[in-house]
Amino acid sequence: MNKRTYNILFHLHTVSGIVISVALYVIFFTGSFAFFRDEIANWERGHTVEIAEEIQLNFDETFQEMSNEKSLYGRDIELKHYYNEQNIGVNLGASKDTLLSKEKAARSFYYLNTKDKTTTDYVSSYSLGEFLYRLHFFAQLPHPFGYYLSGFVAFFFLFALITGIVVHWDKIISNFYVFRPMTKLKTVWTDAHTALGVIGFPFQFIYAVTGTFFMLKVLLIAPTALALYDGDDKKLYEDLEYTHPEFEFQNTPLKSPVSINALVQQVKENWKGFKVNEVHIFNYGDTGMHVSVSGNLDYKDKINGYGYTIFNAADNSIHSVKDPTKKTSYLDTVKGIFYRLHLGDYGGYGLRIISFILGLIGCFVILSGVLIWLTARNKKNVPPKKKKFNEAVVRYYLAICLSLYPITALSFVLVQVINPAGMSLLYKFYFIGWLLITIFFIIKKDNYLTNKYTLLSGSLIGLTIPLVNGFCTGNWIWVSYAKGYDQVLFIDAFWIVLSIVGLLIVGKLNVNEKNKKSKN
Amino acid sequence: MPANTKYLNPSFWPRFSKITAAIIGGFIVSILFHLAIASWFDHVNVIITSTYSSLILWVGLMIMAFLAKSGWKIWGIYILISIILAIVIFYGKALNPLV
Repeated sequence: MNKRTYNILFHLHTVSGIVISVALYVIFFTGSFAFFRDEIANWERGHTVEIAEEIQLNFDETFQEMSNEKSLYGRDIELKHYYNEQNIGVNLGASKDTLLSKEKAARSFYYLNTKDKTTTDYVSSYSLGEFLYRLHFFAQLPHPFGYYLSGFVAFFFLFALITGIVVHWDKIISNFYVFRPMTKLKTVWTDAHTALGVIGFPFQFIYAVTGTFFMLKVLLIAPTALALYDGDDKKLYEDLEYTHPEFEFQNTPLKSPVSINALVQQVKENWKGFKVNEVHIFNYGDTGMHVSVSGNLDYKDKINGYGYTIFNAADNSIHSVKDPTKKTSYLDTVKGIFYRLHLGDYGGYGLRIISFILGLIGCFVILSGVLIWLTARNKKNVPPKKKKFNEAVVRYYLAICLSLYPITALSFVLVQVINPAGMSLLYKFYFIGWLLITIFFIIKKDNYLTNKYTLLSGSLIGLTIPLVNGFCTGNWIWVSYAKGYDQVLFIDAFWIVLSIVGLLIVGKLNVNEKNKKSKN
Repeated sequence: MPANTKYLNPSFWPRFSKITAAIIGGFIVSILFHLAIASWFDHVNVIITSTYSSLILWVGLMIMAFLAKSGWKIWGIYILISIILAIVIFYGKALNPLV
């Protein structure tokens, strides 16, 4: 590579990296925790989910109970499994029965607990898992600003990744095993940054591309809809198979009720290992009633096993089928694989634990990059004013980023002490707490201290999390083990391991500090 | 380290033209390129492919713009390519209408 290209790319990598660093750190840190979003939500509620990725429900009984409260006739009803929680989403469309008053026919959305049949709305079922998951794409900022911000951060992350790997290309093999921890600080950061950056590259590349797509799909879809479809985006979504077909309302009630259970059962028997995650009913109770039963094959059998059957309820015939056991179309492959790769939910706990570690490695690469930026500018020829500014930037960055660990741990304590904590308390606690810890470390003006004490405090709080959970809910580790509360057990064990690793690192830091002091 | 400044653009307009050519010009070319293919060939598969390939192409075009000698020149090239692609889309749409 010639010198000009190298220097330009190097500069692009530096600038794009330093600009997005803090936002990207927040995305990586909270995103790593978001791999366990469902476990955190279940841990918080003391719930357990035995069978993942599937709706566990007696549909006929549920519809019977629902119709006691509301007329279901002529509505489009959708029951959907969003997360591995006991809650499923219920979307009641407006009734097409014109005899009903507007109030009675209105549409509504709520969550239904499949075990105790209670219903909740979005705000009252807000959990810490949901909070961390949404902070991961800045959903707490006004919509759609947060989405776009995180989307552009992901996009410039992709840019930084590609420029970074090109800059490092010539040394990619020779430097792969190079680690010089005993030399000066700058080489330590550089070696760590490049070695871990190269190892994490494929992982981070996938997350950058899929993440940008999730948040900026408007940018990609809008020109297509405008140019090729003359603004008819409905047709575009139809072509991309994102919508359900439409069925006309006949305005004559069905004579005999239809058993949804039987239809679901029929689909499940048809395809071995098929997990139903959505039941969509068109024109409930009408002669135009259709029932769509869709889901995926078990990820163990097929990663992209999306399929559905749509029944015509009036004559109990099959309207249309997508067979998940047949060869998956390219369209379905791309649509499915984006989510599987980004969520890492197809390989059980093992895959998500590895993804969590790789996510934290991402955090480390970001911070080491920021530290390289500082040490490379800590030279005699740099004017003192500029030097001061650079140091302040890094001090602020480190304080903001590293404070996330203790405040996240503290929030886990909060949601057990005050349970349910609710959306507004969680917001206040997390953001104000984060701000206070950050200010404290900025005032302290010591990056070394920031690093050590965030790690120490986060880990100490982390160790208390299983204890607090035990005290508040009675779900001590051995209790949840005996009861088979996998998700509760997992989060408790997760924090113990994470905290011990954190404390070991703090111990290592102390030893290094002592060695340094004895040398001087 | 840091990058040698003699290879970088210190003044405002060369910088401005390159940054805009990279981000805006790169985006337009990348999107039009995919639309041009979609207007002639299997549009569903091309559109769903573009959800990831257009991002990667966009990054590539950004790097090209920053490596260019002159920001205005690369703007000119990107605009020229865009016009050609727009003509391709125009005829592709006329011959294979979707709506």
